[in-house]
Amino acid sequence: MNMHKDNMTNRKNTDLIDDNVIPDSQMEEQIARGISDLLNNRAQHLKPEQAQRLSAARNAAVNYLTEQQAQYSTDNQIAGHSHVLRWFGHAGQNFEQHRVASAALLVAVMLLTFFAVQQLGSTNNLENSDAFLLASDLPPEAYADKGFDAWIESN
Amino acid sequence: MATPKELSDFLIAIERRAFKQTAYAVRDDHAALDIVQDAMMKLAEKYGERPATEFPMLFQRILQNTMRDFWRRQKVRNLWTTLLSSFGGNDADSEERDPLETIDVEDDSDEPSAQLARSQTIQLIENALQKLPARQREAFVLRYWEEMDVAETAKIMGCSDGSVKTHCSRAVHALALELKKQGLDKLGLSNAVFDKK
Repeated sequence: MNMHKDNMTNRKNTDLIDDNVIPDSQMEEQIARGISDLLNNRAQHLKPEQAQRLSAARNAAVNYLTEQQAQYSTDNQIAGHSHVLRWFGHAGQNFEQHRVASAALLVAVMLLTFFAVQQLGSTNNLENSDAFLLASDLPPEAYADKGFDAWIESN
Repeated sequence: MATPKELSDFLIAIERRAFKQTAYAVRDDHAALDIVQDAMMKLAEKYGERPATEFPMLFQRILQNTMRDFWRRQKVRNLWTTLLSSFGGNDADSEERDPLETIDVEDDSDEPSAQLARSQTIQLIENALQKLPARQREAFVLRYWEEMDVAETAKIMGCSDGSVKTHCSRAVHALALELKKQGLDKLGLSNAVFDKK
């Protein structure tokens, strides 16, 4: 009975100790953070020529982005003023990019031209037939008479 | 879209760390500066239109890829050097050669100013970090130094979350062991921490 009691006490102590031990992951984190802090500190003390080189590299990258964005905003301004320029801008690149739309636009223009020509042609024909009727020896009513056509065919 | 100022601020914040971590990986300060410069330019050229919040991840990925490109080029160069030297005669030192040995390691220990500036503790850590296998070092740097989470680190390294955890754990254990070998408990960490390893 006493032995059992001792075992229980020991078990309790072990549990307590285990509870106080920091888990591995926390210790790893602790060591890693400590090392990272020291490395960060070290990284702040570069040789002047290294710092200068990094600064030059950074400026080159930032200048590149500045130029790119300036170019982009100029393109947008042009596009805002004229959509035709945007469409055919960049040495026809946009035209290439919108190949389907460009083809559709071309077909639409051709169809429009065709109908316009047709329309003008039919107007001319109407004018010609009006002139013929007025200049003819017969009165215009004669052509509207159904019996007149039959009479011409029989003669 | 990020503004040039946002890009500038981001680069100022990370450039020194990026240089140091590249230098640990390639063991050559000049090459490290070239690599960081390339990575900065690539970020501006290819991802300048992305929001600034995406920069840390993109930059790290570009940096890791640029380092890999460097290693590939170095490998090819070393292959040619080995081939050419094998035609050059039977020198005693022309036998098996470790590619890492052919890379010049800058040793600035002769400079008194550098000696003064350098803390012995940090030097030991740097050496220990350089000794780590590449994947473990990459995981440690991204996870703890760049303070990225496991998922982000995994994405950059192109592996699973579990692999990142394993690499990180092994890296920390290896570093702790190495530091303990040097009799170093100057990190403010108790001996119990090292004894646990």
